[in-house]
Amino acid sequence: MLSTSVREDDVPDTVSTAITGEPVTLRLAYTDDPPTEALVDGFTRRHPNVAVELERTQFSDYVKTVKLSMSSDEPPDIAQYNTGAMNSLVPAGLILNLDKHAAAYGWEEAFPSSAMDPLRSDPDAERFGSGSLYAVPGSLSVLGVFYNKDILAEAGVEGPPRTLGGFEDALERVHAEGTTPIGNGALEVGGFQIWNALLNVVGEEQDYRDWVYGAPGATIGTGAAEEAAATLTRWVERGYLSEGANATSDIDAQADFAAGGSAFLITGNWAAAALSEEMGGDVGFFLMPGPDGAVPVASGSSVSYAVSSQSDHPDVAAAFLDYLGSPEAARIQAESGFMPVDPEAAGGRGGVMGEINAGFARVIEEEGLVPFPDYATPGMLDQLTPGVQGLIAGVTTEEEFLRSLQEEWEGDHG
Amino acid sequence: MGDPAVTGARSPGGGRSGPRRNGGGSGRNGGRGWLFLLPAVAVYLAFTVYPAVSTLQFSFLEWDGVAPPAWAGLDNFVRVAAEPMLGRAVLNALVLIVFFTVLPILLGLLMTALLAGGVRRGTAFYRVVFFLPQVLPLVVVGTTWRWMYSDDGMVNQALGAAGLDHLGRAWLGDERFALAALGVVGTWLMSGLCMMLFMSGAQRVDPALHEAAAIDGAGPARRFLSVVLPGLRKEIGIAGVITTIAALASFDLVFVTTNGGPAGATNVPGLLVYRLAFNEGDIGAAGALAVVLTVLVVVFVGGIRLLVREDA
Repeated sequence: MLSTSVREDDVPDTVSTAITGEPVTLRLAYTDDPPTEALVDGFTRRHPNVAVELERTQFSDYVKTVKLSMSSDEPPDIAQYNTGAMNSLVPAGLILNLDKHAAAYGWEEAFPSSAMDPLRSDPDAERFGSGSLYAVPGSLSVLGVFYNKDILAEAGVEGPPRTLGGFEDALERVHAEGTTPIGNGALEVGGFQIWNALLNVVGEEQDYRDWVYGAPGATIGTGAAEEAAATLTRWVERGYLSEGANATSDIDAQADFAAGGSAFLITGNWAAAALSEEMGGDVGFFLMPGPDGAVPVASGSSVSYAVSSQSDHPDVAAAFLDYLGSPEAARIQAESGFMPVDPEAAGGRGGVMGEINAGFARVIEEEGLVPFPDYATPGMLDQLTPGVQGLIAGVTTEEEFLRSLQEEWEGDHG
Repeated sequence: MGDPAVTGARSPGGGRSGPRRNGGGSGRNGGRGWLFLLPAVAVYLAFTVYPAVSTLQFSFLEWDGVAPPAWAGLDNFVRVAAEPMLGRAVLNALVLIVFFTVLPILLGLLMTALLAGGVRRGTAFYRVVFFLPQVLPLVVVGTTWRWMYSDDGMVNQALGAAGLDHLGRAWLGDERFALAALGVVGTWLMSGLCMMLFMSGAQRVDPALHEAAAIDGAGPARRFLSVVLPGLRKEIGIAGVITTIAALASFDLVFVTTNGGPAGATNVPGLLVYRLAFNEGDIGAAGALAVVLTVLVVVFVGGIRLLVREDA
C-alpha cells in the first residue's frame, strides 16, 4: 500500500506531432459526459487506427478513483483533469509535462490563454496559473445570470440589466411585485457563486487570480471581496434571496426557477440545456454586470484532459489533446451544451444558448475567464459553502467569512 | 466431513465428567473447528481489522494518498486537536445521542408496552410500519426528509393546516433548528429498531409472571414496569450501544441532508474525517481524527455496558 518511490520523470525526451499508423489502444478515465464520449468519437473517426477504452466514474468518486488509478502500475493514458487529484499526482511526477507538445503543436494560438492558465503549475503543484502545462481544455463553462423574461416584463424591467446598479434595481422591482428575485441553492455551491459572481465584477482581476493560483503573499482580505460579501448580505436582508436557500440544493433551486418560482438564477451555462427545454423562449442569460458595465470578468472552469507520464503512447494521447482545439471539436463541444474553446466556431445560434455564447465570446476575447474560488485549495469548498451559509443566516460577518477563507489558503500556500 | 467437529461439540453429553465445551473441544478437534471459522475470520480480517490497523498506521504519517508518505509522529493528532471545527462537531454528536439513543429507547419501550400485551389484530402491521425506516437506504431517507423539511415541504404544510404558519421555516436551513431537525430523523430511524429488540425480549418473559402480577391486582402499566421492564435490561443495553455508535459515527444522513450546514451547525466528526481524506487529501489527519472518534465511541460504549451490567 505504501510506496517508497521517488518522483517519476514527467518530461518526454522527444515529441512528435505525427502519430503512428499502427493500431493503438488508449485508456481514458473521465467523469463528465457530455462532452467526453462525443469528443472521443470524433477523434477516433479521424484516426481509425486508434481505439479508446472509456473508464467513467461518477463525479462524487472521481477524485479518489483517478488518484488511485493514475498512481497504479497500469494507469490510464489520459485522465480528465481534476485539481484536487492533480495536487497529488503532479508532484509525484505521474502527469506528463506538456510543454514540448504545446510548442510543437502551437497550442498557445489554438486555445484561449485564460482557459489554459489554470492548467499550468510549478512541479510541486503549489502555485498555479504559470509554469508547465499539465492539461488541455476540451470544453469550457462560464458563470452568469439566467432570468425569466415573463417575470421581468411583469415587473416592468426592460431587458437584461447592463450595470450592477441596474441589476439591484431589477431585484427591487421584482421583489415589490411579490416574486422571489433570486432563487438559490446555498446548501451546495449556489450560495458562494453569488459572492463569486459579484467579486468578479467589483474586484481587481489580478488580485483574484493571484489568490486562486496561490501566488506568495496573496490575500482574499481585500476591500472588493468584503464589498461583494456585503452586497450579498444586503440582498439577503432585503429579502432578495429565496426563503430557505441554506437548505436548498442547486438542482432544486434550478427546478424552482424553471417553474417560475424566481426571477433570477445565478449559475453556470451547464444549466442552459435543461432550462431552455423547460422554459423555451422565456429564459435569458447575461453575465453579472459590473458597476460601470465595463470589461467582463467571469468565473468558469473547463473539462480538461491530462496525460499519464507512464503512457506508452504519449504522442497519440497528445494528438487527442490537439484535436480538442479543432473547429470540428468546437462544434461537438457546443452541441454538448458547453462553451467551445473556440467561441467563433459555435456562433449563429439563437435562444438562450446564443445569449450565453455571445457573453462568453466577450469574456474569452478579453481573456477575462477566471477560475472558481474553490480552485484555490482542495479544502476551500468546505470553507466557502458554510461561510456563505453563515452570511445568509446572519451568524457570520463579512470579515469572519473572508478570514476563514484566508486561513484555509495559508494552510495550503502559506 | 464435519463429523469430528460435531462429535467434538457433543462430547460433553457422553463424556466422563462433562468437560466444558470450550476447553474440551479445542484439544484434539480444535484445528478442524478453526477451519470452519476461516471464511468468516478471513472476511473479518480483510474488511474490518486490516482497515482499522491501516487507519491507525496512517494517523502517524504525513500522506496525500499518492506521494511517498513521511513519518509524522503525533503531529496529526496535535493538528486535529487544534482544529477549530472539531469541538463543535463532537458536541453536535453528543446532542445527537439524545435523539438517536435516549428518545428511541423511550419510544421503543412505549411501543413495546402497547404492542406486547398479548396477541392482538394488527400487531404485525404496526411492527412492520415501525421497523420500516431501518430497511430504507439512508440516502433515500435523507433526501425525502430534506424535502419534507423544506420551506414549502410537508412539515410546514402540516403546521399551516394547524394554524401555526408563524412557526414554519426551512428547518434544515435554520442554524438554530437544523441539528434538532436532523435528530428527529434519527429518532424516527432508531425507534423501530429499539422496538424490535424490546419486543423479542418481552416475549421471553415467563407468562406465569404476568399472571401472578395480574392476580396480585397489577394493571397493564404496573405489569409493564415491574415485570417486563426488568426483563429488558440486556436489550436496552444492546439498543443503547447500537444507537450510540450510530449517533457518534453518524455520517451518511448528515452528508445527504445538510452536509454539515448551515454554517457548520450540523458538522459531525465523521463528516470532518471524510473531508480531510477525500476533499483535502490529508490521509494522515483523517486517520488521526478517525482514531480519536473510535476512542470516543469505545469510551461511551464501555460506559453504557457498565451501566446495564446485571450485577451493577
